[in-house]
Amino acid sequence: MTMLLSVKDITKSWGGNRVLDRISFEMKADTIGLVGPNGAGKSTLLNIIAGIIRADRGEVYISGRNVTALSAQQLVRIGLTKTNQIPRPFRTLTVRENLEVFSGLRGRADVESILHMTGLYEYRDIYPQALPFGHLKRLELAKALACNPGIVLLDEPLGGLSSNEAKTLIKTLKDIRKSGVSMIVVEHRLWELFSLVDEVVALDRGKKIFQGTPEQFQADRAVAEAYIGGTEG
Amino acid sequence: MYVKLNGLIYSAVIILAMLLFSKLVSSPFLTLSLVLATIYMGLAMAWDFSSGLTGYINFGVSFFFGIGAFLTGFLSFVHHIPIGLTILADLALGISTGALFSVPTLRLRGPFFTLLSLLLPYIASSFILSFWTVLGLPTIGYYNIGRLAPSTFDELVLVSLFDLIILATLYALYRSHFGLVLRSIRDDEEAALNLGIRTFRYKALAFSIAAGVMAAMGGAYSSVSTFAGIDAFGLTFLLFPMLIAIVGGVKRILGSVPASYLVIVLSQYLNLYIGSATLVVFATLAIALVLITQPMFLQTFLRRRIKFE
Ligand SMILES: Nc1ncnc2c1ncn2[C@@H]1O[C@H](COP(=O)(O)OP(=O)(O)O)[C@@H](O)[C@H]1O
Ligand SMILES: [Mg+2]
Repeated sequence: MTMLLSVKDITKSWGGNRVLDRISFEMKADTIGLVGPNGAGKSTLLNIIAGIIRADRGEVYISGRNVTALSAQQLVRIGLTKTNQIPRPFRTLTVRENLEVFSGLRGRADVESILHMTGLYEYRDIYPQALPFGHLKRLELAKALACNPGIVLLDEPLGGLSSNEAKTLIKTLKDIRKSGVSMIVVEHRLWELFSLVDEVVALDRGKKIFQGTPEQFQADRAVAEAYIGGTEG
Repeated sequence: MYVKLNGLIYSAVIILAMLLFSKLVSSPFLTLSLVLATIYMGLAMAWDFSSGLTGYINFGVSFFFGIGAFLTGFLSFVHHIPIGLTILADLALGISTGALFSVPTLRLRGPFFTLLSLLLPYIASSFILSFWTVLGLPTIGYYNIGRLAPSTFDELVLVSLFDLIILATLYALYRSHFGLVLRSIRDDEEAALNLGIRTFRYKALAFSIAAGVMAAMGGAYSSVSTFAGIDAFGLTFLLFPMLIAIVGGVKRILGSVPASYLVIVLSQYLNLYIGSATLVVFATLAIALVLITQPMFLQTFLRRRIKFE
């Protein structure tokens, strides 16, 4: 069964500075993109959904169930995991051990096939410090998959990758999608993102300014202005 | 896996070789030094298993050691219970006291556990000093404690056997999923928590097991020295185990085996010449070694902010 997520009226301030202002959306597709200029509040929103930080107001639902009060540990057991924008591997664990440590949290994930799927199989016995950056990003994804999730929140999975690396990773993400895992993908690289997702939510300075298909996104003036304003300002 | 198992076999060979060495040399002083070394070995392995693996530094080693020594003293002096049984009682007392201490202090991520653990031996020894008459102790401690075995060499054989059991058990845990989680906690506890690992349970269990081993070693010590006094709560039983674990290479468990013979036998002979200054020498050495070889240790400790799980 596909896991879909919705948020209602999520509001969050950091020391008087409102970074999320009554954000509501409902996932209609199993894979959506979350976009917006730097500082729009994307990472904060993912952290709230994942139970890592608390919203001041608002609710999160997974497949209709209110999960707002649950901790990150409880959410992982329900099937929701998140990757970090900056990879955070366990340094003294090998690549394989970085995945095995999560075994048993939510059934038993197939570590071997995750290693194959993310292209890390030949690196399975080395330590993360020896991995090139692109592979660290893959390891970050693999760790989330090792929790056997129904839905994964990805924070800029393509950030810092070469266009070739990005292309392969998008292919991997498509495979993951096919295997029945839902995704919310925060990403700046719209061209690559739009080849993956069916739906886009855009934030700007803490407000939702758009929700629709990638085609509608490209045709939307307000969005275009926010983006141009965002990059030039 | 094959290579790893070799390490365990090497360690067992070293322990057996030291038995043989003691038998051949047949010097009472050397045999006694080796008995002490094997007792410290248990402490060092337990400390390394809990603190070395998780990065949560336990300064309360001598507290758990001391309560084990006193329980064995009490059971043997007052109730004449055989030492084998009193050591089992020490193990149970250590595990339960360890759980009692770690459950509230480890729930808070941060330096609380470490700072409070430092107070434990001090509180225990002050308590006994103030209340030994009320507690019905024959003196400030128990004497005439039954011996583990009739000869020092037989005691060495028995404590070596305990060490082998502890070694195999802790090493198996270290190689298991449980050990993997402990290592992930040391690397990045927040990342482990965010991906669903309930780190608190693992930490508390590791520290309780370690506390049990430490208390059992305390029981063995009081039986070997036939006396349980407040020196069992002393700094010696914190510094040497830490030093051994560091010399042996923190978070490797097996390294404590050769390191404890080296450090303790050396300190015993040094003690003949410079007396109590030995502790100062080794403490300085320990601090220098931590700073040189384990800068990460200090960082892990300083990095931890205080947070509720
Ligand atoms: N822990 C924090 N404390 C204070 N301000 C924060 C914190 N995290 C994020 N912010 C602020 O919130 C805003 C949104 O940040 P973020 O969610 O990281 O944006 P994005 O991921 O869209 O770039 C930024 O202005 C950022 O400075
Ligand atoms: Mg961000």
